[in-house]
Amino acid sequence: MSEKELGQKWDRCLADSAIKFGTGLGLGIVFSVVFFKRRTWPIVFGTGLGLGMAYSNCQNDLKSHYVLHSKVAKEQ
Amino acid sequence: MAAKILPVVKLATKVTIAGGAIYVAYDSGLLGDGKEGSVTLGRAKAAIPPAVEEWVKYFGFELPATPKIEFSPLDAWNSGVQKSIHALSIAPSTVSDYTKQGLQYVKDLTK
Repeated sequence: MSEKELGQKWDRCLADSAIKFGTGLGLGIVFSVVFFKRRTWPIVFGTGLGLGMAYSNCQNDLKSHYVLHSKVAKEQ
Repeated sequence: MAAKILPVVKLATKVTIAGGAIYVAYDSGLLGDGKEGSVTLGRAKAAIPPAVEEWVKYFGFELPATPKIEFSPLDAWNSGVQKSIHALSIAPSTVSDYTKQGLQYVKDLTK
């Protein structure tokens, strides 16, 4: 993987982490207000979910260079 | 009769709100891949200035112009890393130079 590609992957990772953090936080706030009487734990849970999704995406993105990708040829 | 339906209606409203929030997040690609996420971020960045302008027109007051900050964290970080590593790499020779100079100074004192 070239350095430029690696840098782009890390940039995508950071942007994705920020977005998922915000989304998780937002959805956690919505759920906390609507269902759980404004408790804190849904907010923390949502934020954790978002960060976990971001981590998983980052991991797959950084691994994808070294993993074999296959395509199924269409039958003619 | 109304008293019996009301809790159901309340629950249905809550589920609609929560479900709608999840659907909006899913539909705008916020829960997808890293690539989709950065695309959404780009779109949001591009959409903010027109939205701010519309709000300003609606409320009828001028927001103070945001000062242009010429500071780039990336450049600052990179230059910091380069300077630190450069200092580490010339540290042994610098230390030996200073030691030699110090010893020479002491020798000159004792002459």
